[in-house]
Amino acid sequence: MIINFKDAKTYIGTGGKSLDNTKKTLCFLHGSGQNHLSFVQQARFFAYKGYSVIVPDMPAHGFSDGNPCKSIKENAEWINDLLVDLKLNDVVVIGHSQGCLVALELNRILKSSLEALIFVAGSNEIPVNQFLLDLSKEKPQKACQMMVTWGHGIDGDMSINKWPGHSHYGEGNNIMCMNKPTALKYDLHSCNDYSDGIDAAKNIKVPALAVLAKNDQMTPLKSGLKFVELIKNCETHILDCGHFLPSERPMELNSIINSFLSKLK
Amino acid sequence: MSENYKFDTLSLHAGHIPDKETGSRAVPIYQTTSYVFNSTEEAASLYNMEVGGHLYTRISNPTVAALEQRLAALEGGASALACSSGMAAMHLVVSAICSSGDHIVASSKMYGANINLLQHTMPRFGVKTDFVNPNDPEAINRAIKPNTKLVFGEVIGNPGLDIMDVPEIAKICNSKNIPLVLDATFNTPYLMQPFKHGANIIVHSLTKWLGGHGIAIGGAVVNGGNFDWGDKDKFPTISGPHFALGGISFWEEFGPSALIAKIRAEGMYNFGPSLSPTNAFHLMQGIETLPLRMKKHIENTHSILDFLVNHEMVEWVKHPDLETHPDHEVAKRILPKGSGSIVAFGIKGGREAGKAFIESVQLASHLANVGDAKTLLIHPGSTTHSHLSSEAMKEGGLTDDMIRLSVGLEDINDIKKDFERGFKAVKKLNK
Ligand SMILES: Cc1ncc(COP(=O)(O)O)c(C=O)c1O
Repeated sequence: MIINFKDAKTYIGTGGKSLDNTKKTLCFLHGSGQNHLSFVQQARFFAYKGYSVIVPDMPAHGFSDGNPCKSIKENAEWINDLLVDLKLNDVVVIGHSQGCLVALELNRILKSSLEALIFVAGSNEIPVNQFLLDLSKEKPQKACQMMVTWGHGIDGDMSINKWPGHSHYGEGNNIMCMNKPTALKYDLHSCNDYSDGIDAAKNIKVPALAVLAKNDQMTPLKSGLKFVELIKNCETHILDCGHFLPSERPMELNSIINSFLSKLK
Repeated sequence: MSENYKFDTLSLHAGHIPDKETGSRAVPIYQTTSYVFNSTEEAASLYNMEVGGHLYTRISNPTVAALEQRLAALEGGASALACSSGMAAMHLVVSAICSSGDHIVASSKMYGANINLLQHTMPRFGVKTDFVNPNDPEAINRAIKPNTKLVFGEVIGNPGLDIMDVPEIAKICNSKNIPLVLDATFNTPYLMQPFKHGANIIVHSLTKWLGGHGIAIGGAVVNGGNFDWGDKDKFPTISGPHFALGGISFWEEFGPSALIAKIRAEGMYNFGPSLSPTNAFHLMQGIETLPLRMKKHIENTHSILDFLVNHEMVEWVKHPDLETHPDHEVAKRILPKGSGSIVAFGIKGGREAGKAFIESVQLASHLANVGDAKTLLIHPGSTTHSHLSSEAMKEGGLTDDMIRLSVGLEDINDIKKDFERGFKAVKKLNK
């Protein structure tokens, strides 16, 4: 659905069903340079399972206009305001990559409480190398291409996909190219500059789930494992794939999230 | 892990890794119509397009999907869909995008069935086409109307071998937000990858060089994922509400793969031109050696061009790699590895000479296909166009002495010897 939010056209994926705030809401937060399309197989799956699903395209991403947020905190405030605007409470927030940092920060600032937090390919910190930071400014399209290649496990190289006929690389590149060219630069700097992750992780009081990827080259497994140690009782799973586990292992991820959700309340 | 494999490697591997259970190195042929659901929930999630997977072979099949993913990788596209023939692929694209009242701009020099579909069949359903010279980007620009929904052409035209200036035409289409759809059968991704030049959708007849062995008919649509379908008024079938699935917009739900999602949900569901898993296997087997074959096709073509150009019995030779071809400069720029292995040539002595030549060669096969590993020949003047006068053939850009040659992979000297046998018969006739 498209709404006018903070004076800008804002797109929110709802998994093919209309938003119903009487149902439990799952809020998916996309990663750096991504948009709602990186969660297509989660959004539709959970919308059809009876959840209300929102996958906002952050400003300047996907179909959303507006100026890109310039820090993780700004991203979290934007999401917080959006949840208030949509009158959504007790949401389960599911972040992927940068979306995990935003979820951590959101949990700190949120006025109303969150129901649970789910971290997909997440960590408390996502340092970005200088080469990629520079490239995202000078040649964002090239930077997208590199991230798509690094981001996928062997299924990317081999064009192996559970979705018949789809190519992780071809699709991933074009999803990133849909964003405004400046979006990636601000995302990567936001990740690189974020340093409150340890505190934020230690502060989590709601149920938490982490699904990490064995061959993650963007948020390495080692970093993810350190991160989950900071969270009290974080249920942790490791899948054999790369960083883009929502599209690389959709069924496994959905099933882990589904059984975690069924244990809430 | 992030190897970014090159073309030759992808030709062999893309779309398949051996499964843990059987270890089968070759892509298994899943010769099945349907797939057991583990639960009603799983069945529903496939019908609702919540997640990817297979439910019925008319819509998708694991062997066919391996082929599709290989093609998507070789073309650098977002997604691909394989179907029963090249013509099915063409029809799937046109019917997914166009509705009654819409307009198409197409090349006037294309394969007969491509022309027929647009000139005679689609108008019955209210979709009209204006045909323009494929090597005149400005003419294409002028032909575009407010209701034009796609521009279509063959990268290398069949049989005239006209070359489209793809980057120039893509610029025009892009500026007017109209998808450029290209039949890339004659070039294959080995010689040229149209998405790199700005095209948006590719259709292939896999029957030809991709399959490469003349054993299976098949086609494919490859979706570049690089087109913005967001204008709901202009592209209601892709970005407007779908008649099923709760009225979703394919563009909003599936973004870069919207077109393929639409074709699967409508074209494959309602028309059903599915590719058999066994044919998908045969076609993939062909693709494994595509780079090797294309290299040899081009090598043999260049050698035979030399032979024909210098032959006393040959009136004229047409191939884009010859300096005499009107599109030679464009060919050099966009097809630097060579512009395919189809050659047209005229034999001194007209229609009768062509007939005598065809009937005297032994090695080259006289038939109506192209792109086989074996050398193929046809003489339109005594076969497909035998009912036309010389004048009528000329109007269609053909001459009655013309032979269409699809250069195969045989030892080049054997092909030349075979042709000498044909020329000898013509000489006898001309005496
Ligand atoms: C350029 C071109 N496109 C499409 C086709 C149709 O392919 P198929 O026979 O696989 O339907 C052909 C067949 O000759 C062709 O030459």
